[in-house]
Parts: sequence; structure tokens; C-alpha cells
Amino acid sequence: MIILGEFALWIALPVAVWGMALGFMGGRTQRGDLVLSAERGIYAVFFLLILASLGVSAAFLGDKFEYWYVASYSNRELELFYKVTGLWAGQRGSLLFWALILGFFSSICVFQNRDKNREFMPYVAGVLQGVLLFFIIVLLFADVNPFERLAFTPANGQGLNPQLQNYWMTIHPPTLYLGFTAFTIPFAFAVAALLNGRLDARWIQLTRRWILTSWLFLSIGIIFGMRWAYEELGWGGYWFWDPVENASLLPWLTATAFLHSIQIQEKRGMLRVWNMSLVLLTFLLTIFATFLTRSGLIDSVHSFAQELKIAYIFLGFMGSLLAGCVVLILYRLPKLRSDNRIESFLSRESAFLFNNLMLLGFAFAVFWGTIFPLVAEGVTGEKISVGPPFFEKVNFPIGLVLLALAGIGPAIAWRRATKRNLKKNFTIPMGVLLAVGTGLWVTGARHPLALVTWSLCAFVLTIIGIEFWKGTRARARIEGEGYALALMHLVARDRRRWGGYIVHVAMVMIYFAFAGAAYYVEERFHVLPGDTVEVRSPFGHTYKLTYEGLSVSLGKGQRNLLWQAIATVSVQQDGKQKPLMTTEKRMYVTGDLPMTEVGIRSSVREDLYLILSALDDMEGAVRADSNAQGIDLQVLIKPLISWIWYGGIMLAVGTFVALWPSVDRRRVALEGRTETASQPAMAAAE
Amino acid sequence: MNKNGRFMVGLVGVAAVVTYLIWTGVSQTMVYYLTPVELMARAEADPTFHEVGVKVSGQVIKGTYARVQGELLHTFQVMDPVDESVAFTVEYRDALPDTFTDEVEVVLEGHLRADGVFEATTMLTKCGSRYEAAPEDLAG
Amino acid sequence: MTLFVGGSLVALAVVLFVLQPVVKGLHASLERDVFELTDTEARKRVALLALRDVEYDFLAEKLDEHDYHSLKAEFTAEALAALEADERAQGGAGLGEDDLEAEIAQIRAGLREGCVCDACGFSNQVGSRFCSACGQAVAAEAAR
Repeated sequence: MIILGEFALWIALPVAVWGMALGFMGGRTQRGDLVLSAERGIYAVFFLLILASLGVSAAFLGDKFEYWYVASYSNRELELFYKVTGLWAGQRGSLLFWALILGFFSSICVFQNRDKNREFMPYVAGVLQGVLLFFIIVLLFADVNPFERLAFTPANGQGLNPQLQNYWMTIHPPTLYLGFTAFTIPFAFAVAALLNGRLDARWIQLTRRWILTSWLFLSIGIIFGMRWAYEELGWGGYWFWDPVENASLLPWLTATAFLHSIQIQEKRGMLRVWNMSLVLLTFLLTIFATFLTRSGLIDSVHSFAQELKIAYIFLGFMGSLLAGCVVLILYRLPKLRSDNRIESFLSRESAFLFNNLMLLGFAFAVFWGTIFPLVAEGVTGEKISVGPPFFEKVNFPIGLVLLALAGIGPAIAWRRATKRNLKKNFTIPMGVLLAVGTGLWVTGARHPLALVTWSLCAFVLTIIGIEFWKGTRARARIEGEGYALALMHLVARDRRRWGGYIVHVAMVMIYFAFAGAAYYVEERFHVLPGDTVEVRSPFGHTYKLTYEGLSVSLGKGQRNLLWQAIATVSVQQDGKQKPLMTTEKRMYVTGDLPMTEVGIRSSVREDLYLILSALDDMEGAVRADSNAQGIDLQVLIKPLISWIWYGGIMLAVGTFVALWPSVDRRRVALEGRTETASQPAMAAAE
Repeated sequence: MNKNGRFMVGLVGVAAVVTYLIWTGVSQTMVYYLTPVELMARAEADPTFHEVGVKVSGQVIKGTYARVQGELLHTFQVMDPVDESVAFTVEYRDALPDTFTDEVEVVLEGHLRADGVFEATTMLTKCGSRYEAAPEDLAG
Repeated sequence: MTLFVGGSLVALAVVLFVLQPVVKGLHASLERDVFELTDTEARKRVALLALRDVEYDFLAEKLDEHDYHSLKAEFTAEALAALEADERAQGGAGLGEDDLEAEIAQIRAGLREGCVCDACGFSNQVGSRFCSACGQAVAAEAAR
């Protein structure tokens, strides 16, 4: 099976070349046989990539340590689960995994469109094959073949880094990859539209659903990553402005910008060059992201640059893509130009434009902060580093403007907002903003950023609440429905809009949580069994923590665990006894120093976060020496942090609402011309 | 067209503000990122260097790690992986990252004190998953 | 041995599958789907949607009368233009009358005789000399 998998990867190469060539040729010559062959080529490449992936998994499951990749990321004692997911544990396998998922989405796209959008599909198939071809070439020729064999067979593998042996770490890369790769589809349609000149209103509807789906996966992937960091990295942080994190944020920002500016194109026919550029840029950024995370280029200025070959190949690919995209856009510039203008500075169009500007500014800051050290070194020879202080300084103000816009946008009118309109729609929300701000100040909250953030949160929530309320009430009156039913129908009639508002609420929840960082509590104690310490939270809870003692369990080599030293802490919150918490040190076979597992107790208001920082006497503790039970205990209180996760769920809900297909257009057309006015309009809302 | 002009001005204005933020952001928060050799050279050349915050990368020397009991204080020696004769002592008063081991590569932020000891405020170790074993290591 | 046979079989199957269309002259359709939205249809639907939204916004009290009327006039004109463009694209084959389009036809007649105020865009009745919304003098010219 393994050899078959390797062989399959080689066969995929000519098939992808063939498919790409025929896709473009078929589009050019309008020959259906060439196009069919190209489309079949996509299914074929996907099939071959499945075989290749199965081959790698078989190598893991069979403990075939003659394969470098298996030996580096597995060993005999590794749990089955991590052997199965070993495919994406390291660089090589994850490149194959990326290609696999891309093959999957490409197949879906081709299948869905087998008798639709036919004037686009030849070029779409060509582009998709081209990207697949790139990854296949990288896998086969850039020294990153997961099937590379060693000259000998090690007795056992190195095992998987314990920090990766975690539920989150196994689902976080796949969800991110689902998001990244899905952006290839809209990219393919965009290039197809540029090539065949069909740059009209239909293109929007084609791409919108795919971009929204990709955006959903990417958002979830990023939030999963944050959760993983929070649980596993042991410091209670969830975002570090690390190059890898930044890389995943960039396409998210440009995609969010696109989701907004596309509405301007739809309503006014404007910004077509801008939107086209955003789609292309988003895809380029996904390639940039995989380049950053899988070539180790940025990570260290003084690194050994082991992966130089792959870095050059990626740079070459991105460079040619960028050049190609620019050429294509310039070529179609006449068709893309529009005569319409934005009429007023105070309008929803203007708010969307502003939103785009902010998002792009944010993205540029993140991009610049990430690559600046490299650029500076190349130009001046001096090595510098840009860290969280930079990103926070620049991005916090921009983030706050974006939050404000999330409220202003829904409330302000299209075309031009008159003074009357502004007064009508903004008086109450502004009032709420000031009231909340003042209220918080009065109750002792003084941190400026937190105050502004929470006031803006209230502002946005008020606006969206009023929107839902007014809409429901109007509908209930007109249709004579009960309010609950009216709300359901209201949302169903314009899913995109109301789903979008739900996502705005989700963002408010996330900002709400972010501002809680202003009130983090961190304390350190040295405790012996029986000691009690007290920590106060900003919300007034008093926690009495009693260190009960250390229990040590010696592993028998299973799960690669040598031993676990578990510190048990009993918790009293405001005098009431709560469940026990534990935090531990674990020593793995493959490590030199123990790893920490934290204890987290989450509630709506705050998280109580315990870290066993250090054992006084590690050897003594493992021997169960009763004099070696002292520990360093770190206690963190994280106000509001659960709202990030709640916001994530809300975001998924909102996006589902927006994505859910409303009326089947086909059915509507089939039912003939007896449709009423509302139905075509309803279908158009999709 | 007047409206459009005003609009453009607004857009350019916002772009200018963002650019300004980024510009000052970088210049105010950037930190020199040096090797131990460079760090020592700078310290010799510039006596006021001891107050400047810097970032240094180096390798922990095997066997030099010690933890001061009763205090949250770790000390170890860091050397330049290229020129192993250049080394200095580091004092670190925070929790050790889990990936800290003998001979691990670290990135420290802090400043070099007048007494030659580097006081580190943050420490990062090179991410574990990216460490790829050379074939020879796998033979063991 | 089995591996060799298996691998060759897979390779053969894939190649046959991919090459078959070219060799045997099987064609994928390149025609537009009958039910697919044309560009003019898409624009028409967006225009109608905007009109409908204006109605609902007014009823939901998000727009006051003045804004409602002026926006409605604008959007109606656009919807008309989109409708006409679509009908032309369809080769003049009517799409069938439905409530909204009947209403638009009426408005079309009204608009052709009424006049639009230069200052505020309000659509006034035929023969008005002063704008009902802003009070400016209205030039007696035909609507757009």
C-alpha cells in the first residue's frame, strides 16, 4: 500500500500537467471533449492523492521507520489516534494533506458544476489543476517527499512531540487547511472570469458562497488554534502575534473585506477592480501562509535554513501568480471600470469602504510587522525584531474603528444618509454607548481601552437589537404573524443580511472578551501540602485554594509517558466548595524536562487557571518522598475569556444562516410563471 | 466631482494615519535581534548599551542550568552557537517554558547589565515541532 | 509482484479514464444552463430586492416618509431600467406580469409625466411648480 501510494504521487504529476493544459486549451477552443478530459483529470488527481495519503498513513500504522517522516513523528508506543493523524504532524505530510483537501474541494466544485456555469468551468479546471500541480511538484522535487526513505531502518521512531499530542492540535490544522484551500475555488472562478470576460453580476453570486464557506472554516480554524494555545502552551495566552498566527490572519482579513465590498458591487456595480483584486490577493495570502508555516523562513533570523529549496520554489510560484494576476487585471481593466460613484460620505457604501480600508490597513500592519525583520536585515544588515508591542500599538486603534463600523454599517442608510435618518437611527445607540461608558467608569473601571471597547460593544449590540426588533415587528404587523414566526420568516427572507448581523454580534462577544485582558490577575505562590492561598478576581470573587498534595503515577511506557506528578487543589469560591482542580507535570519518554498540563475552571465570567510551574524537588517527588512535595503554583484569573469561545459558536451560527440556501431557483423557474413577486426577489437574496 | 474630491481626501487621510501608526509603531517598538557575539561587541563599543532592551538568540550550555530554591529565579549560561567561546550568564525570573532543555536554542528579551549578566524578561525556545531530526539522530 | 500489477492497473485505469473523452469524442457540455441567471436577470433581481427592502424599511420605521419616497423613486427608475434591459436580452419575450411589475408599470406611466425635483430628488406630481418635499421651484421637464 505504501509503495502504491508513492507510485500514485508520481502518476499524479503527468495527469495534473495534462489536466491543466487541456483545461485551458478546451476553454480557448471551446472543445467539450478536451474539457471533459480535464474535469476527469481532477477526479483522477484526487483519487491518486487519496492513495498517496493512505500510503503515508499505512506507513505510520505499520511502524515503518525506514521512512524518515514516520521515524520523525511516530514511535511504537504512540497512541493509534496520533498515528492515524500523523499524516499532518509535520511539514511533508501536511503539504500532502493540503493537496488532498484541495483535490477534495476541486472535485466537489467540478461535480457541482457539471451542467452549470459551463463557460467558466474549463478555465476553473485548468487553474485548479495548476495549483494541484504546484503542490505535487513541491512534494516530489523539493526534498519534502513524505515517502523518502532512510538508508537504514531505525529500531524505533522519535515519537511525537508531547505538545502535539492533544485533541486540539489534531483538529486545528485540518480546519485551517479546509479554510485555506477552499479559497482556491473562488480564485479559480475569478481567473476564469478574467479569461473569458464574463465579469458581470453573475460572477458575484458564483464566488460569494465559496468565499463565505472558506471564511467559515478559516475563522473556526483560527479560533481552534487560539483554544489550543490557551490550553496547551501553559501561559494562559491565546494569541502571540507569531508569524504563523499572523499568516493565517491575513487571508481572513482580506476575505472579510471582500464579503463587505462585494455588496457595493452588487448594488451599485462599483469597485469591480477592487473586488477582483481582493479575491486574487486572498488566495495569494493563503499560499503565503503555507509558505511561511512550512518553510521555516521567518521563524528565526539565525536559522539553519534547511528548507531553502522549498522557499525558492514557493517564492517563484507566488511571484509568477502575482505577476499573472496583475497582467490579467490590466488586460480586463476596460471591462472592469464602472462609472458610478459613491454619492455621499455618510452612507452605507461609504461605511463599507471605510471598513475595507481598515481591514486592509490591519492586514498591511500585520504583514509588515511579520516580514519587516527580514527586509530590514536584507537592506541594512541589521537584525531587528518586531513583537507584540508593535502589533498591539497599531492594531488596537484600527480594531476599535472596525468595531464601531460594525454598528454604524447596519444602521446607516444606503446611498445617502440624511440628518433625519442619522438622528433616527443613532440617537438611542449613542445614548447607550455613553450610558454604559459612564456606568462602567462609575463602578471603578478605569482602563481606557477596556472602557472604549465595552462602550462600543453596547453600541453595536443596541443597533443590531433594534434592527431585529424593528424588522420583526414590521413583519408581524404586515403578515399578521406572531413575533416568533415573524422573526423566523424575516431571517429566512434575507439570510445574508441577518446572518451577517449575527456574525457582528459574535464579533462583539469576541471583542468583549479581548477587553477583559485589561483585568488579568496573576499571582505566584510557593506552597506545601495543606497551604491555602487566596486570590481575588476583578469581579469580586474570592478564591481560596488549598494545595492538597502531589500524587505521582508512573506510566508503563504507554502514551510515551514516564510519569505524571499531579497536584490537586481544592477550590472554594466565595466560601462555597467547588470541584477539585488539578495541574500536573508530565515526563515523556521523548523529552528531557517535564511538560506542564494546566488546570482550567471556566465560567461565564472568568476562568481560573492553575499552573504547576515547578516542583521543588523533581526526583524526590517522583520517588514519592514526603519531604519533596513543595511546588510553585501560579494562579491566573482570566476575566471574560470564555466569551471568545461563545463568540466562535455564534460566528458559526451566523455564517450557517447566511449560507443556508433559501429557495431553489431551479424549482422556482420550473414552477413556471405563476410565481409571485416575492419569490424571485427571495431567490435573489441567496 | 466635488464630493468625489472630498472623498478621496478622506480616504488618503485615513491611509496616511494608518501608515503613520505603522511607521511610529515599528520605530518605537522594534528591538535589535543579536547573537551573543554581536551583543558583546555592542556592549564594548557603547557603554550606554546596558539600558537598551535587546533580543538575543543563543544556545544554552549543557549543565549550566540552576534553579535558586525558594525564589523564582533560574540561571544558566548561553553561548553563541557559531563562536562557542562567547558566552554570558542569564538570569530569568519567570516560569520556564516546557521545551527548555540542556543545549536548547533560546531567544531572550531583556538587557545586559553592567556586571555582564543578562537579565531576561522573556524567553522563548525554538518550537519543538519544527525541529527535524537529521538521519544520524534517528539511528539511535 | 502483486504490487507491480496493482500499480500498473491503477495507472492504466487512471489514464484510460482521463483520456477516454478525447479518444472517444465524449463531450462535456459548454452551453449555458437554461435555468441559469443571466446577467440582466441578476441585475433585475437585485433592483427588485432593493425596492422591496425600501418598502420594508419604511414599514419598520427605519425611513421617514421623505427618504422613503425619494429612495423609492430612485430605485424604481433603476428597476425599470433593469427590467427593460432584461426584456431586451430575453428577446422581448415577456416574463409574465406579477404584482410588483404591474405596480412598476403604473409608476412608469406616472413618472413619465411627473417631475423630479433637482434639489432633493423627490418625485412630484404632474404639473407641480414647487417641490412638495423641499419647496424649491421645480422646472417642468420630463422625468429621466
